[in-house]
Amino acid sequence: MTVSGMDSAKQAAALAFAPNDIEIFLHHEARLLDERRFRDWMELFTNDGIYWVPAVQGQKSPLNHVSLFYDDRTHMKTRIARLEHPMIHVQTPPSRTVHQIGRAMMEETGDKGGEYMVSSSVIMIEYRLDNQRLFGGQQYHRLRREGTGFRIAHKRVDLVNCDGPFGPMAVPI
Amino acid sequence: MLDEPLNAIERLIEPGRVSRRVYTDPEVFELEMQRVFGRSWLFVGHDSQIPNSGDFLTTELGRQPVIMIRHYDDTVRVLLNRCTHRGAKVLNEPTGNAPRMSCLYHGWTFSSDGALVGVPEDDGCTASFDRKDFGLASVPRLETYRGFVFASLAATGISLEEHLGGMKANIDDMVDRAPEGKLALDVGVHRYIFPGNWKLQVENVLDSYHVPFGHASTVNKEGDQFSRRDGDEKGAKVIEKDKTSEDWKIRRSYDMGHGHGWTSNTKLDDGKRSSAVYSAYVDALTEKLGEKRAAEVLKPKFHNSLLYPNVSIMGLNIHVRVIKPIAVNLTEVNVYPIRLVGASKEMNAANIRLLNVTHSAASFVQSDDAESFTRVQSGLRSQLTEWVDISRGMGTEDHDQDVNAPRGKATDELVVRGQYRAWLDYMREAV
Repeated sequence: MTVSGMDSAKQAAALAFAPNDIEIFLHHEARLLDERRFRDWMELFTNDGIYWVPAVQGQKSPLNHVSLFYDDRTHMKTRIARLEHPMIHVQTPPSRTVHQIGRAMMEETGDKGGEYMVSSSVIMIEYRLDNQRLFGGQQYHRLRREGTGFRIAHKRVDLVNCDGPFGPMAVPI
Repeated sequence: MLDEPLNAIERLIEPGRVSRRVYTDPEVFELEMQRVFGRSWLFVGHDSQIPNSGDFLTTELGRQPVIMIRHYDDTVRVLLNRCTHRGAKVLNEPTGNAPRMSCLYHGWTFSSDGALVGVPEDDGCTASFDRKDFGLASVPRLETYRGFVFASLAATGISLEEHLGGMKANIDDMVDRAPEGKLALDVGVHRYIFPGNWKLQVENVLDSYHVPFGHASTVNKEGDQFSRRDGDEKGAKVIEKDKTSEDWKIRRSYDMGHGHGWTSNTKLDDGKRSSAVYSAYVDALTEKLGEKRAAEVLKPKFHNSLLYPNVSIMGLNIHVRVIKPIAVNLTEVNVYPIRLVGASKEMNAANIRLLNVTHSAASFVQSDDAESFTRVQSGLRSQLTEWVDISRGMGTEDHDQDVNAPRGKATDELVVRGQYRAWLDYMREAV
């Protein structure tokens, strides 16, 4: 992974960890989703963490416009309780997904109260009952350093078709 | 079946049941586009969606592309989105501003009232060519009620006033909730599609029977649905002792004629609703309406209203829902959260956030409905069973004197039977 507009020496000096650690973290997050370990996925978020999938390109605020997802911890818990409910019809049978994360870049470094802004591309293939769908876009993680690891303070996924019509989307991207 | 269209249509509807073919037969769908959507008053949009001169939105009435645009004289116009030259759609974006609309193909240009104002190389036009004959056509009839814009593709028929009838009170109820007495549909739209017939969504909006089952995954172990409104401690009691709760069953539904209907409000603990945001809203409303009227408005009378055939207004998580038939087995639904003009940003933000989890494509509620519609459409491929049952509560309805309409339990199917009565009225007559 590289840091936008920064040479490698500065980058190494600016970070207290190897840049690859962040890529590994993103892959770990994707794997938890693909393995439907939603509760473990939620635990990657800080207690004040937010998961946001806007409904229009360049959406500035989740508070004056609709979003596909805009979950704080309370909403995440309800969502995951529902995903675990035996009568969630839209997941009977469940979706199978595979994520592909690419082109991870650090947009800003350190000095932000131990937070790091990382952008990457994401593609998720979802298969359920004879129907395969493709979701793709840019994702932006604001990661908070915690001990030797990271937690997600804010995750935003800008889907390329965010303002199009969708069939039900039961699982997070 | 078109050999004897009148008899054939009549045969599809019987007391308490309808033929599967009303959902599955492409010929029935084509007739619906002509006779229901080609004739009824249809919701087009809300005037708050096009606040400024030249603002437009594009949509469909039935399957026909139209433009709703604000002309420079401030009137709202609804024009057919079809170039009068060779037929291309003139406006291609969902929303925008276009005081002049130019067709991409040969550059014909129209004013926001539809008038043809520019024809490139017009020395090639025939001597008899008259621009006046080539304006973008307006819909034959257009009327507005409290900002809700309705159009009919038929030149004759009952007025919007007569069509809405008692349902005007439901629109009023919603408008009155806004401290400034105005609604705005300007906070975006949830768009979802399902592989099923449009009537499945129409029938569902007033269906209180399905909630404990279809939405079981939204109900916790105590039988309460997740909390929806800002300031509520918990959601509605849906299940009690493994059965539909008495609180849920107490609701009533009303058959308002022309296919319209509504269900009475969900029982929530209104007395316990409290938050700083909600209190500020109560204060703003009281200041505007006075204590007595504000108290009435704060106890909304309806959970959901259906203005047949293409729009519903929901009173709990407030929104306007537009149902767009695409094919016999494909439907798009557009959910517009309502912004109460004059309520605080926080109050309106809470409703936006609520709609994200109730009616976005990724929501907790609507995604299971879409799954139900999908499975109904699949199940109805079964040709050996002709009939779909809609008989619940038949013969038990009474007449509500105040509303002046037939009333039944909301968990019954009175309103669905009302929809098919209207459907048959539209369908049995040739256009």
